[in-house]
Amino acid sequence: MSLLFWNNPEFVRHRRAELRTTRAITFAAIVLVICVLVWLGCWIERATEMAAMHRQSQQFGKPNGASLAQMDEESPAKVWAAFYSVLMYSQLAVLTFWSLLCCAQSVSGERERKTWDFQRATRLNPPELLLGKLLGEPVLAYFIVACCLPVTLIAAVLGHQYWRSVLCAYLLILLGAVFIGLAGLWMSSLFESRSRGVGLIGTFTLYLLFGFAGKIAEGSHFPGLAAFSPLNGLGSMLDDDGQGYVATIFGSPVSWLRTSALLYVSFGSWFVVMLLRTLKEDFDQIRPLSRWQSVGCAAFLNVTFYALFSPGLKDYSMSARQFATLMVFINGIILFAMGLATVTSYERLKVWWRTRSQKRLSLFAEDGPPWPWLALSGAVAYLLLVWGLFTWKNVLGFDRQTLESGLVQFLAVSIYVTRDVLFIQWSRLTHMRAPVLKGFLYVSLYYVIAMVLSAVFAVHSNSSGQTVLSLLTPAGVLENEVTGFHYHAVVFVGMVTQLAAIVLLLIAIAAKVRHSAVLSAATPD
Amino acid sequence: MIQLKNVREEFDDLVAVQDLTLSIPAGEIYGLIGPNGAGKTTMIRMTCGLLDPTQGEVRVADVDVLREPERARQFIGYLSDFFSVYDDLKVWEYLDYFAHAYKMPESDIPGRVTEVIAQSGLETKRDSLIRGLSRGMKQRLGIARAIIHRPKLLVLDEPASGLDPKARIELRNQLRSLRDDGATILISSHILTELDRFCTSLGIMEKGRLVRSGLLQDVVSAGSKSRAIRVHWLGDGGAGLQSVLSAFAAVSELKLNTTDGEFHFSGSYDELSQVLASSVVSGVRILSFTEAKQTVEEMYMKLSSHEVM
Repeated sequence: MSLLFWNNPEFVRHRRAELRTTRAITFAAIVLVICVLVWLGCWIERATEMAAMHRQSQQFGKPNGASLAQMDEESPAKVWAAFYSVLMYSQLAVLTFWSLLCCAQSVSGERERKTWDFQRATRLNPPELLLGKLLGEPVLAYFIVACCLPVTLIAAVLGHQYWRSVLCAYLLILLGAVFIGLAGLWMSSLFESRSRGVGLIGTFTLYLLFGFAGKIAEGSHFPGLAAFSPLNGLGSMLDDDGQGYVATIFGSPVSWLRTSALLYVSFGSWFVVMLLRTLKEDFDQIRPLSRWQSVGCAAFLNVTFYALFSPGLKDYSMSARQFATLMVFINGIILFAMGLATVTSYERLKVWWRTRSQKRLSLFAEDGPPWPWLALSGAVAYLLLVWGLFTWKNVLGFDRQTLESGLVQFLAVSIYVTRDVLFIQWSRLTHMRAPVLKGFLYVSLYYVIAMVLSAVFAVHSNSSGQTVLSLLTPAGVLENEVTGFHYHAVVFVGMVTQLAAIVLLLIAIAAKVRHSAVLSAATPD
Repeated sequence: MIQLKNVREEFDDLVAVQDLTLSIPAGEIYGLIGPNGAGKTTMIRMTCGLLDPTQGEVRVADVDVLREPERARQFIGYLSDFFSVYDDLKVWEYLDYFAHAYKMPESDIPGRVTEVIAQSGLETKRDSLIRGLSRGMKQRLGIARAIIHRPKLLVLDEPASGLDPKARIELRNQLRSLRDDGATILISSHILTELDRFCTSLGIMEKGRLVRSGLLQDVVSAGSKSRAIRVHWLGDGGAGLQSVLSAFAAVSELKLNTTDGEFHFSGSYDELSQVLASSVVSGVRILSFTEAKQTVEEMYMKLSSHEVM
């Protein structure tokens, strides 16, 4: 695979289609006109400000003549600095939004136009397709940035900006655009044409998250997650006041630029792995990650959370027990997402069923049922919890009771998640339309019912409400007051009940697959 | 050129292709017919490496499509039924893109693009945007795309769908010219008369299985237990012919008019020559005595139970 993207056929196709001479000239002219207007806006703002200063000086003697003269002298540089700042934010907005919008419609759009199979039928390999689409789809946005570049550099020089800062700002913008483009491409690869609308809604949600990650993560125990938004990094380079809080990696403050770069590269790599697996696959045969990769991804997410954890907030400090509970909760979500990603298709599960006796370790086969992998991921996540607690022992403390209660919590959460994922796996084997989505909705309905029932019982007494909740959901095990293994008996009863539900689901899945596998193998006339 | 060995494709609880084994030699024009849902498109997509079979082996030009998909693709040109082209490109840009995507040698590309444009009769549209082309022209461009890299195998899935009669004739002529150039073509079509005039071999799929496959004449004759014979005579020989033909047990479905008629004959050619000789000896002035070849359409209608999965 060549990294010379300008020779990549897919990139060339987009460049030819998007940047015909007249169009390119028009866009370049528009960009220049907008730059002039923005500069005038900055100049007017500064001029108004200075006029006010002069009036103030004449009326009140403040600022005095010397400082006013200095301000007058600095004024042109300030105008250019403000202009530079606006240009940088604008380029960030244009490039990231355009990248996401174009990439998020890329593959699904090709599917809709019925051109995708022809691309798949060519000799372009997935890395080449990925590179071509990633840089080719938003080529117009890159062209706009290229048009802005000389103006930005002039503004940077006249606004007395450091070269290193300019370079870093552009690096951040490019990394952010590539990262969000990858996220868009990944989403697009998972949507068939008819679900393109849903994909677009997801795209805008993702962009809002991307833009406002800083605000979301600001008050959390993981402030470093704010670095998903390039605004923090760019702001730290353009504004003097900074963000008021910092990103930390394993407790050490790290610049927003570095944290963003780290997150973009690491998460972006997972998108690349998923895209390389799926880009040339038929839509019905897409599975973003292999089973081992899913376990790896779950472990990676855990490590990221432990690394970005910040124990102390302004008026609150976390205990080891609370930290463990938080991580168990987060892992419940991670395991569920992983379970969804590893639900096996009907076709593959049937084939696995027919051939399972011929293969060693068939339970851990790629096409087997998802539960052994969930159990494995749960075990890895628990080991990482032990490691995480050990890593943070100086701040949070490290005791046996926390490890014991953490073990029970992990066990319970793994059981509930396994039950839910197996239910969705069973849904996948039915004739429902959009079975995974419907299975997910049924699971959500179950939890809503459990909460309503708990509320109804709580009218009688709080403890009976709690009992119902502990019996039907993993909420009871996430209580922070319990130490060691000393959970209320109802928590264990709930776990045993869910284990029984898992057995029933496995029987139902086996019956369904056995019946279908036998019918298929019989090759009916 | 194409070898499918025990190929099977399952979708959920549906078996779309069942243990299909097929070998198509180089230079054949293999027509694939069958009702909707018979598994034709699934088979074609597996042949092109666009769909992984649940089990079995697909080889094109002795390359395993599953194991070496990129290598196999250089031998395959593919066109599907309803397709689209990149409307915002010019005709030459579109072909140039696919020539690069198939990794043709850089130096060959401009010449090949020009050659294919001429072959497709699109010379005057070379620098036009594709969005301005008619449906027939786009179809020609689609075929030009499929052959740009000189594939050994051309796979066409219902290429005449949605085309008007004029565009169909153009398509047929273009495919004939490719056939004359020695390409192996696998084509599925609902328009059976097209295949009749065009294919050298034929396969009939039903319920995911290949129920008949072989040379066109073999498949066509295998579909019928008796031959249809047409006869013309001069003068008033109808009654005499009636009595001669009725004497042969192998003759059935006798329909005679004043100077011509038709009957079905289930015997051998030797016996048939005796029928002719007896007719002449009995004084019927025979003008012509010919076997009416069964068309693909007639054979298909007889064979197919038209069951759809």
